Amino acid sequence: MNRIASRLIAALVLVAMTFVVAACGSSSSDKSSSSGQAKSNGGNPNQGKKGGKLEQLGASDVDFLDPGQTYYTGGYQVLYATQKTLYSFQPGVADPKPDLAASPPQISSDKKSVTVELKKGVKFAPPVNREIQAKDIKYAFERAFSKNVPNQYSVYFNFIEGAPKTPGAVQDISGIQVDPSDPYKITFKLSKAQAVPFAAFLVMPVTTPVPREYASKFDKQSPSTYNENVVASGPYMVENDASGKLTGYKAGKTIHLVRNPNWNKATDFRPAYLDEILLRANATDANVAGRQVLSGQGLTLDTNPPAQVLKRVVQRSKGQLKTVPSGGFRWFPMNQTVKPLDNVNVRKAIIAGFDRDAARKARGGDFVGPIATHFLPPGIPGFEESGGLKGPGFDFLANPKGDMAVAAKYMKAAGYPSGKYTGNDEILMITANVDPGKAQAEVAKAQVEKLGFKVRLRTVPQDAVYTEWCQQPAKKVGICGSAGWFKDFTDPQSMLEPTFKGSAISKSGGNNNLGQLNDPKIDKAMDDAALLAGKARNQAWGNIDKMITDQAPAVPFVWDNTNLIHSKNVNGVASEYFTAFDLSFTSLK
Amino acid sequence: MSTSVGTTEQLGAEGTPQETGRVAGREVTARSPLQLFWRRLRRDKVAMVALAIVVLAVLVAIFAPLIVKAVGAPDPNIQNSDLLDEFGSPSGPTSHNLLGVDQRGRDVFARVVYGARISLTVAFVSTAIIVLIGVVLGLIAGYYRGIVDSLMTRAMDVMLAFPVLLLAIGLGVACADGCLNGLIQPGLTVVITVISLSLWPYMSRIVRGQVLSLREKEFVEAAKSLGASDMRIIFREILPNLIAPIIVYGTILIPQVILFEAALSFLGIGIQPGTPSWGSMISDAVGVFDIAWWFMTFPGLALLLTVLAFNLVGDGLQDALNPRNSN
Amino acid sequence: MGAYIIRRLLWTVLLLWVVSGITFIVFNVLPSADPALLRAGRRAEPEILKGIRQTFGLDKPLYVQYLNYMKHVFLHFDFGRSYRNDVSVRGLIFDRLPNTLYLMAGAVVVWLGVGLSVGMISAVKRGSLLDRFSMTSALVAISAPVYWLGLVVLYLFSKDIGRFPLLPGSGSFQEATDLPTRLEGLIMPWCVLATAYAAIYARLLRANLLDVLGEDYIRTARSKGLTERRVIFRHGARSALTPIVTVLGLDVGGLVGGAILTETVFNIPGIGRLTYDAIQRADIITVQGATLFLALAVCIANLLVDLFYSVLDPRVRLS
Repeated sequence: MNRIASRLIAALVLVAMTFVVAACGSSSSDKSSSSGQAKSNGGNPNQGKKGGKLEQLGASDVDFLDPGQTYYTGGYQVLYATQKTLYSFQPGVADPKPDLAASPPQISSDKKSVTVELKKGVKFAPPVNREIQAKDIKYAFERAFSKNVPNQYSVYFNFIEGAPKTPGAVQDISGIQVDPSDPYKITFKLSKAQAVPFAAFLVMPVTTPVPREYASKFDKQSPSTYNENVVASGPYMVENDASGKLTGYKAGKTIHLVRNPNWNKATDFRPAYLDEILLRANATDANVAGRQVLSGQGLTLDTNPPAQVLKRVVQRSKGQLKTVPSGGFRWFPMNQTVKPLDNVNVRKAIIAGFDRDAARKARGGDFVGPIATHFLPPGIPGFEESGGLKGPGFDFLANPKGDMAVAAKYMKAAGYPSGKYTGNDEILMITANVDPGKAQAEVAKAQVEKLGFKVRLRTVPQDAVYTEWCQQPAKKVGICGSAGWFKDFTDPQSMLEPTFKGSAISKSGGNNNLGQLNDPKIDKAMDDAALLAGKARNQAWGNIDKMITDQAPAVPFVWDNTNLIHSKNVNGVASEYFTAFDLSFTSLK
Repeated sequence: MSTSVGTTEQLGAEGTPQETGRVAGREVTARSPLQLFWRRLRRDKVAMVALAIVVLAVLVAIFAPLIVKAVGAPDPNIQNSDLLDEFGSPSGPTSHNLLGVDQRGRDVFARVVYGARISLTVAFVSTAIIVLIGVVLGLIAGYYRGIVDSLMTRAMDVMLAFPVLLLAIGLGVACADGCLNGLIQPGLTVVITVISLSLWPYMSRIVRGQVLSLREKEFVEAAKSLGASDMRIIFREILPNLIAPIIVYGTILIPQVILFEAALSFLGIGIQPGTPSWGSMISDAVGVFDIAWWFMTFPGLALLLTVLAFNLVGDGLQDALNPRNSN
Repeated sequence: MGAYIIRRLLWTVLLLWVVSGITFIVFNVLPSADPALLRAGRRAEPEILKGIRQTFGLDKPLYVQYLNYMKHVFLHFDFGRSYRNDVSVRGLIFDRLPNTLYLMAGAVVVWLGVGLSVGMISAVKRGSLLDRFSMTSALVAISAPVYWLGLVVLYLFSKDIGRFPLLPGSGSFQEATDLPTRLEGLIMPWCVLATAYAAIYARLLRANLLDVLGEDYIRTARSKGLTERRVIFRHGARSALTPIVTVLGLDVGGLVGGAILTETVFNIPGIGRLTYDAIQRADIITVQGATLFLALAVCIANLLVDLFYSVLDPRVRLS
């Protein structure tokens, strides 16, 4: 599994990072330019030399190659080089571009239907070799609803009309319509007025075409074995044999990408400079791998380099560093159903006293990214409307190093005249058993304890942080010690609704509203804002962000950047979307 | 006959019990074994110096807060992020932080001093438990023999067939939040339980061997023929003769337990995060040891010195128990 | 002899069965992570969880799960598939095994070479300055935690960050693509892993030799006028080495899984490291498989040692 998911569950991932993760920010170590840290320095996508072989060093494998299942950066990086999704991103450009689609999605006026036209003449890679049509998108969605292809983000499309409530065998879904007279047009009928976020979602991997006649035999297996037999549609493909079996994929070791002979430059906006790419998943010592990348030829590193390597590249060879905002926030959610965190003034006091800079140092210091002052991160619409880097201006978030006087003020307001907590309730904090999750939680514990609270810190296996603890309201986790929320696509609704909407709380588990913020006013504002589009939408979600921040449901502490390093002779281009090098734009010098 | 199974990597000095296990029995017939024993030990200068270091370590552990205060160092859990650079890297020794700070900006000196508490607590408590289990089971098996003995020997064989460190890690992770309905509490209790569970067979084996040879001795036979009860024989005749060897093997066990605890906390098992333990300090240092030598060096040295002192004392005791092998 | 071997084999099987039972209890009954939840990831809806439990047989009673598992292990040598990514556990183990074996083999050579020669010299020059120095060093070596020693050696000698860059550092074994560079990358891990063992063996051999040299038949040999060297090598060493063989067998058996610490420090993807990672990720079935496999290694080592022992030292009756 590769880490730093751009995806919702990404905190998991945060945790999944090996030892010291550091991430660096801006192109400048000069503190006065800290506002620049949110800016992207992802490399120039418009220049490059054709040909050559690139090798990427990494510590972990992709999660899945199956477009219906992948949900992590590693899988995305391969997917967006080997497949055409309906829409996808060009590095440096904020809005998605039609990829397999021929034009932007058409949204009906009732916001309950989305129609997409496909390009003609795009072909599948060998061994399928036929033209891609709308039916291949329909099948891709249908299989993602089946038991054998467990998709992890069905929340974005399970409101398609006729979608099965429980996963079973692949079945026809009435809400995904392909008109036999026009095999290049696909229409999605929705049971809720969610067409705007649904249209934004059409960049995700599940919109990759899958040929039914080829894939169905694999999809009958439980779980599906299409993962080892994926057929490509993009500029590259994982090397395969005549039957379609991926001979270039050695799980846990390497993935070998070669050019897709059926790819047609005329139907794509990607330059695809490189001839060959080798992704290695067995370079487990990130320090060693990082140093190799910096001094070697034709190499990139798959994720944030460790602090030492980062320090070296910042101080000596900044040209080998590319930085993109990760499009997410890291937070310490405070569970409002747990005493004493049920008191809003207690929560504000904790935020006020919290040295967020110390928590950031635990993750690698200034270069990790700017200190968060609210929740919507840079690069997501609504960020500026919510106050930008400066924030909405609440006194309890004014000082990144914490302000004990403000904290005392709120403690008094909460009914603790001494300014310190005098009750007996113990706060349970859960974090991962590896750094940086462990490190930042140790800092958080000390910060909360400054005000007299008693915190019990428990470390658990990284995968369990979410699934077994923070997402299970029954476990009464007070503060989640290693949580982060990262974009799936660039839309503010997907950032704030699952995480702060009262009606999104799931008491039985799988809950993502970790603080269990339940404010009818905020819920109402979200319902209204969901129907908006364009500028009004950004403004509305920016306002909602302010309302949320005012309720102090969590300590927001950093808006991550992703720092990527490459060898001197590599012209590395990073994708802001999946926060890794974009293999179809990166080239050799 | 066997000794180390999979744990030698961190447990170190195994092999020693067997080395003398066979010889020791000859010596214990002396009239007042303990006095003899002590007299011999006092002549061993190296062992006495080592004993002094051990006593010093114990004192450091007991008076940790006073020592830290006397030196003017901050408390071991005070995080000072101002002592980190903009990459979050720790800074080295200064007059304020004698041994530098770690990645949280905590004082390494204070943490090394407090680390003695964890190490020695775990060492003494676990060893006591292991000795207790070992003596009880060893006595029963060795004295009564028969089915009890073969069952116990088999049980020990099973334990010895286990990759002990893996078992310990598994137990440590499984019981991280306490287990068996709260019988095992999280934190140090888990570590102590895991270590005791993993190491008792070694002690039982030795005690059993000793008892087996003791019960054939004339004075035991004599007591039997005089009609003494089993209890009387065990407590009056056998146990007193076991005390010296138990002290020796207990002492040999202590450094192994210390290393075991450190290895577990190095792997992140058992000890609660933030607790200043030498093993977990070394583990934390792994990511930065190339730029923060102080952070890796001092907890390691403390560990090395303490273990070495205990080993030297153990060696001395062994020689005193069994003078034929001494120089 | 034949009956003895059969008895030993049966005992080994019984032993493995008990070990597997304990392993199963530790990882399945004691509170740990729920594999179905971990597998499901985000939005673990009850229906999905149910499906996963069915697929992996987690909905069955524990004893059924255990029996199924045992059936696969003993009949097909199949340790199941990882809950994380469906990879076969047996495949994982055999994938990692060679790395651990490389590490072990070199370390054994180093520690036998160093340990036995030092032990022998110390015994011969008993009481000399050299003897005292060697034995003191041995005690220091035994007292140093192996992972710390590894870090210190890396800090001092590794090519990339060392103060005296001499040898390839952490991770170089894994990065290497050809045999010579791989072996070069193992020099440091070998020495570090071998340190404590060399010390133990030196002490053990010395003690055994001194013991043996006091025996009657050695005195007889001496009185016959044989040279001291001949006495030691022809008569003393042989019987002093017998117990060493025993310990060696067990150490090697145990090391297959016991090199976790060395593997961690030097980033060697061996079996110990595999198990440790699996535990950290709550991938129970991998842990279970590896533990069982390692117990098997220990049992086989035990068996071989006993057989070898009987050949080497006819005084030992096989019973």
